[in-house]
Amino acid sequence: MLVLTRKVGEKLLIGDDVVISIVEVNRGSVRIGVEAPHHVSVLRFEVYQRIQEENLAASRIGSAMDIQQAAALFRRQGAPSEVVGEKDK
Amino acid sequence: MKVSLYKIETKQFGRMDIDGDKVYTMPDGMPGFSGMKRFAIIEREEIWPFHSYQSLDDPTLVFYIMDPYLFKSDYTVDMEQVAREAGWEGDPAGDIRLYVIVNTSAGVPERITANLIGPIVVHTKRLEAIQLVLHNSLYSHQHRIFSGENGGGGADSRRAVSA
Repeated sequence: MLVLTRKVGEKLLIGDDVVISIVEVNRGSVRIGVEAPHHVSVLRFEVYQRIQEENLAASRIGSAMDIQQAAALFRRQGAPSEVVGEKDK
Repeated sequence: MKVSLYKIETKQFGRMDIDGDKVYTMPDGMPGFSGMKRFAIIEREEIWPFHSYQSLDDPTLVFYIMDPYLFKSDYTVDMEQVAREAGWEGDPAGDIRLYVIVNTSAGVPERITANLIGPIVVHTKRLEAIQLVLHNSLYSHQHRIFSGENGGGGADSRRAVSA
């Protein structure tokens, strides 16, 4: 991994069109500005990681549960959000 | 319209012929599965409201997806973000459909959760799909689709959204 030291107000250029600015440093937190083209997604790494883990967990299907049984339960219960809504009242 | 037919051996339904117009290309894949680019949505009455989201690149890879509005009627996604990230600017909203991935790994139906921060968004005309990542979202990645005995995720996330 490349490690660089930058001061507040200084920038990094990644590729041709992604600019990272150090906006503010305060007690262990760094505020970072990102300028990138629309098609480049910028994500907090934890969010990406959570989705990745959730995808991996969701892909483990099969013998763990009978999906038809779950489908039947869902159809019997109707729209569960309506049930939650009634509880809220 | 493509008329190609894909033949695939699926885990749940055995050998299937899948019409090309049910096959979506995911240019970026999905987090954790970036190499998987082609998926088919398989709709079968016996598993409704779930559908199979079946990889055509790896027949052993399959997800269950569903329409989020069936259990969370106020679910919203920024369609401008979708259009921007997918490159679908200017396309009619009616061409775009939203699904969420369900996680059945807890082993009992009552504990099925849906990932509301990573919806699968498909374009029915372009036959493309993306997994959107909702950052700064108050939705849960493990939202119970059945209102559980402890309230599940439904009530909590509803409050969070309206806050």
